[in-house]
Amino acid sequence: MNVLVVLAGILFLLMTLIGGRKGVRSFFALFFNFAVIIITVILMNDPNVDPVILTLIACVLISCINLFYINGVNSKTKTAFLSTIICIVILLLFIIFITNKAMIQGFGEEEIGEIGAFSLLVEVDFIKIAVSVIIMSTIGAITDTAIAVSSPMREIHYHHPNISRKDLFLSGLSIGRDILGTSTNTLFFAFFGGYLALLIWFKDLSYSVGEIVNSKIFSSEMITIFCAGIGVTLVIPITTWITAYFFVRNKETKEKIT
Amino acid sequence: MNFVGSIYKKMNSKHKIFLIILLCCFIGSVIFVFNNHSFYDQPIGKVVKTTIEDVTKVNDINGNEDAVYTQHIIAELLNGEEKGKEIHLTNEYSESKAYDHEFEIGNELFIKIDQQVEEGAELTGTIQEVKRDKYLMMIAWVFIFVLLIVGKRQGLFSFISLVFNAVLLSYALDIYIHNSSQSLLWICGISVILFTVISLLLANGLNEKTYAAIIATLLGTFISLLITYLVLLVTGEKGLRYEEMQFITRPYRMVFMAGLFLGSLGAVMDVAITMSSSIFGLYEKNNNISVKALIKSGMEIGKDIMGTMTNILFFAYVSGSIPTLILYFKNAAPFGYTLSLTLSLELARALAGGIGIVLTIPIGLYTTLFFVNRKRARR
Repeated sequence: MNVLVVLAGILFLLMTLIGGRKGVRSFFALFFNFAVIIITVILMNDPNVDPVILTLIACVLISCINLFYINGVNSKTKTAFLSTIICIVILLLFIIFITNKAMIQGFGEEEIGEIGAFSLLVEVDFIKIAVSVIIMSTIGAITDTAIAVSSPMREIHYHHPNISRKDLFLSGLSIGRDILGTSTNTLFFAFFGGYLALLIWFKDLSYSVGEIVNSKIFSSEMITIFCAGIGVTLVIPITTWITAYFFVRNKETKEKIT
Repeated sequence: MNFVGSIYKKMNSKHKIFLIILLCCFIGSVIFVFNNHSFYDQPIGKVVKTTIEDVTKVNDINGNEDAVYTQHIIAELLNGEEKGKEIHLTNEYSESKAYDHEFEIGNELFIKIDQQVEEGAELTGTIQEVKRDKYLMMIAWVFIFVLLIVGKRQGLFSFISLVFNAVLLSYALDIYIHNSSQSLLWICGISVILFTVISLLLANGLNEKTYAAIIATLLGTFISLLITYLVLLVTGEKGLRYEEMQFITRPYRMVFMAGLFLGSLGAVMDVAITMSSSIFGLYEKNNNISVKALIKSGMEIGKDIMGTMTNILFFAYVSGSIPTLILYFKNAAPFGYTLSLTLSLELARALAGGIGIVLTIPIGLYTTLFFVNRKRARR
């Protein structure tokens, strides 16, 4: 039996047992997301298509899967979706700037041994690919934070329908601050778990601090972590503002109609 | 400027001192990374002039068209004995830039100076690495400022917890490297306990919510690790392609397991604290709420976070393989072979992390109920 099949089977079983129908949907969402990533990668092989635009489209699809497919189409998922997209676009501008400047695209010296047999002249612009990688590693965390902020905000608005926009905004921010620590922590551990081998490698080959900091692999990993952290932090005020704006405006228009 | 001034006036003296210290750190570190050339032993050159000497069109056997540019660079040395002198360098880069860089005026590079053949001839050298420390510093500061502006006090605490965890991790790895006799898994196990206690205490303070979350996190991670270990044992690790694991200087299986352990920890902590603080929140709002109602609401919250949490790990792991996937596809490697070779370990990690997340939902629920009932009995 293949390890991946067994692990996926166990995950499916657990998700169905604990999550019921929503659990089944969450499990399938993983597969759809995987399909989106693979299709995006295949399309990126065509050098005439801009990988950054492809990534943006993929992000829209992924947020649709994560928000609308798992949680249904409703006011909280709609605001979370809008905030995710705005946050991704802002983050994207910043990431494009930093990847161009720091030249962290493609493969580092340490990786070249195992891919040395391949031709590296493959037409595809690896700077743009590097931008996509950073955005893609963050999209899951950004949608998660967006829904985690907008969902309790709807509850507050539901229980206190006369809350002012400013109060709703402030309570949203305070919810956001509470989850900020754990969200950054989740990303931090996920990345460090993935880079453990690299860290041991640096220590074993006794790299100096200067060599580590300036090496392409380390700096690209660190830039990914920081961009992910900036993404999950920025999405909090964006979601809070949009949700507050959206809900309280809704109330006002309702009043006008009646 | 008036706006900034009014904010400054509103702050109390403690905040003002903190702000001033922070700004000093910021300005000091930025000045340092832009002028730290003399701290490096290796010569550093700043590009002052670039000219393209040659362009060659290249076609490979897989029909990829690319162009290779040869760039002549004149750089000014910024440190070492030859400081201030100009050096001539040649750089080759391709249009795809998978392993090379196009340099522009103003870029700073680490250089190896060639031995001079005759006295007075112009200096030549080879480019070894790009100086990236200033960009790293810049983005770190952007992160810190965004964290502090949005998160205020909690932002500061989460930053402290990140730094603390990073230092702890580095220290744990040092111990591992100097005592190879000790198993990495043991060291990781002890550090996982420390990571959990420190991060959750810093995020939530000393209270029952935190205790419940710490116990749930530890149970969740250890049980999910056990499940993954058993699966690996039973299936004989069929389907895992360790040969693609990068940067291996140590027994790879151990490194993989330890990475898996550490990687799911953050997500499991997130689930545990969400479960415990929301259940405690319900209890605090209504002290007479029945256990049954708490279980029901707890499971609802669990269902809500399950899907998005598993996706966080999935994207964090799988995205890193995109450049390798493209390179394989572009070199006409078979589809199935490429996927299994480049993604098997990442997928295994994401799935194992997902198992940890889902398991922590009931574990977190019942641990919190235990604490709630204890609190109730004491009243």
